[in-house]
Amino acid sequence: MARYGMALDYKNCINCKACEVACKEENGVQLGADKHRIWVGVKDVEGLWPNISIASSTFEPSQCQQCENAPCQEVCPTQATHYAKGGIVMVDADKCILCSYCMEACPYDARYVKEDTMTVDKCTFCSDTRLLRGETTTACQATCPTKVRTFGDLDDPNSEISQLLSHRQHFTLKTHLGTKPKLFYMI
Amino acid sequence: MFVLAEKIMKQVERFIPMRHTDIRELFKFEKTPLNILVAFTTFVFLILFVIGATNYFIYGHHAYGVTREHPWGLMIAMYIFFVVSSTGLCIMSAIGHVFEVKVLEPFAKRAIHGALVTLLSGFVVIFLEIGHPFRMMIYNTISPGLTSAIWGMGVLYSLYLIFIVIEFFFLLRHDHKWAKRFGIFGLVVGVAAHSNLGAVFGFLVARPVANGIYYPLYFILSAMVTGCYLIFLMYGFKYKLEFPTEMQKTLVATAKILGLLLAILLFFEIWRMLTAIYGGMEDRAVTALHILKSAPFLVGEILLGIVIPFLVILLSNGKAIKTMVFASLGGMVGIFFMRYDLVHDTQLYPMQTLKLTEYQLPPSFIEYTPSMNEIFIALGAVGIAITLYYIGDKILYLETDPD
Ligand code: SF4
Ligand code: SF4
Repeated sequence: MARYGMALDYKNCINCKACEVACKEENGVQLGADKHRIWVGVKDVEGLWPNISIASSTFEPSQCQQCENAPCQEVCPTQATHYAKGGIVMVDADKCILCSYCMEACPYDARYVKEDTMTVDKCTFCSDTRLLRGETTTACQATCPTKVRTFGDLDDPNSEISQLLSHRQHFTLKTHLGTKPKLFYMI
Repeated sequence: MFVLAEKIMKQVERFIPMRHTDIRELFKFEKTPLNILVAFTTFVFLILFVIGATNYFIYGHHAYGVTREHPWGLMIAMYIFFVVSSTGLCIMSAIGHVFEVKVLEPFAKRAIHGALVTLLSGFVVIFLEIGHPFRMMIYNTISPGLTSAIWGMGVLYSLYLIFIVIEFFFLLRHDHKWAKRFGIFGLVVGVAAHSNLGAVFGFLVARPVANGIYYPLYFILSAMVTGCYLIFLMYGFKYKLEFPTEMQKTLVATAKILGLLLAILLFFEIWRMLTAIYGGMEDRAVTALHILKSAPFLVGEILLGIVIPFLVILLSNGKAIKTMVFASLGGMVGIFFMRYDLVHDTQLYPMQTLKLTEYQLPPSFIEYTPSMNEIFIALGAVGIAITLYYIGDKILYLETDPD
């Protein structure tokens, strides 16, 4: 059984936002600042002028963490949010009643309301678009000019992501909450 | 329509005693300034409700001020406000007619009537908040998310509704044996449903300010406080402050219980704040300090909701029941702020702590202002509650029989 995750070499990110555009294009995410599956966080520079650390200004691309212990799945009253193949957390639009409980429960603000179906939506690792067509990369990975993103199977020791994670130090976001995120930030 | 309604009422009369079965009676009331004011306000509220609900049906959640970062707003707060009132009245009623504390028995029937009315008003509000309410009924049943507190809430509140309807039915028929039995079921399920509603917030690991045991317990406690306030309001209005001796005794006893409950509530609030701030855990402490300095908390929740009624009771030894009616009015405003703040405060702290564009300021506390439509529906729901209460009061015998 595959267990999909993504490793992010986030220090290489140049905040070009090509991934945000590619995601919207590939997955039909509507326009509008509120409607995004993925985003790039901008970390402020540290230090007081003139002692400013240029290296401290980094960008942190992010999206749904595809938690292995996902609070959004736990709180969904109709099982609309569920674990699908590959451990990907998915929303079944037919079952979603738009109670917004998952939006409350997600510690990463990864969810938004999709206007055409009026249901909650989030990153699916392109599993219903590109992966379904047999491709092996996500749209954000394929488009990234600085190769920040590596998507793949964490259970396959030979996959590129497993190799990367085995020899690069990494951290996850809000680890203390016990959500077991599958987005890994490489140091 | 009137003819049909009358026919239905005539049928109902075969099972429960009724004061009136003539619909025209509903429009007749004593034309005192207060009555006219209440009738007029209620009418305006109902019109506002129609406007708000129509806009919701046309524009969906766009008619509301909710956002991605603040998905729950005034509607959820109002829903909680009503169902808390319902549970509180149910508990207060049960003390009298289930546990047979004689001095509190006189309001048993009226309190259950209030519980029913507020529960239905709460359901109206939540119907206008959930994006797909009919889908909810289907998938809550055939695809239950057993780990979800909202699922539990749906099930428990539905059961609660059924039990209190039956309990009310037997109370109206003066069948105390069965009323008591269903009263126990209603009470147990009501308390379960309500503490479970607290858990909807308490279960949120992502929101340290809400996460934990506090809300499930606090919901029951503050429900009882709400129940007492509403009893003062219902009887204050019914007797226009000229209480008969029997009722005076009942209300003094209610005030004394309320005094104790308020003291405990204050104690709860103090420890909630101290534990949240102590240690300075970033998201929890900063949020708690922000709450502590906000006017809705200080003036609404603490002053109106707890301190003023508490002082009235304390200084008069519970005997100032006329003043308590006014304090209860302020108390209900305070209770509203408790619900509103609980929803809003849970969402205050931003989940994404980095800015998303270069020139944006770093994320700060999430802001939310209810839209006009939300305010219309919220006031409208109060109008619905008053109307339903008035109809019940007019056609049913809500005083407990002398035996
Ligand atoms: S990041 Fe949020 S939406 Fe994604 S799986 Fe975790 S809790 Fe769910
Ligand atoms: S909004 Fe939809 S996906 Fe989210 S918890 Fe409610 S039913 Fe589940």
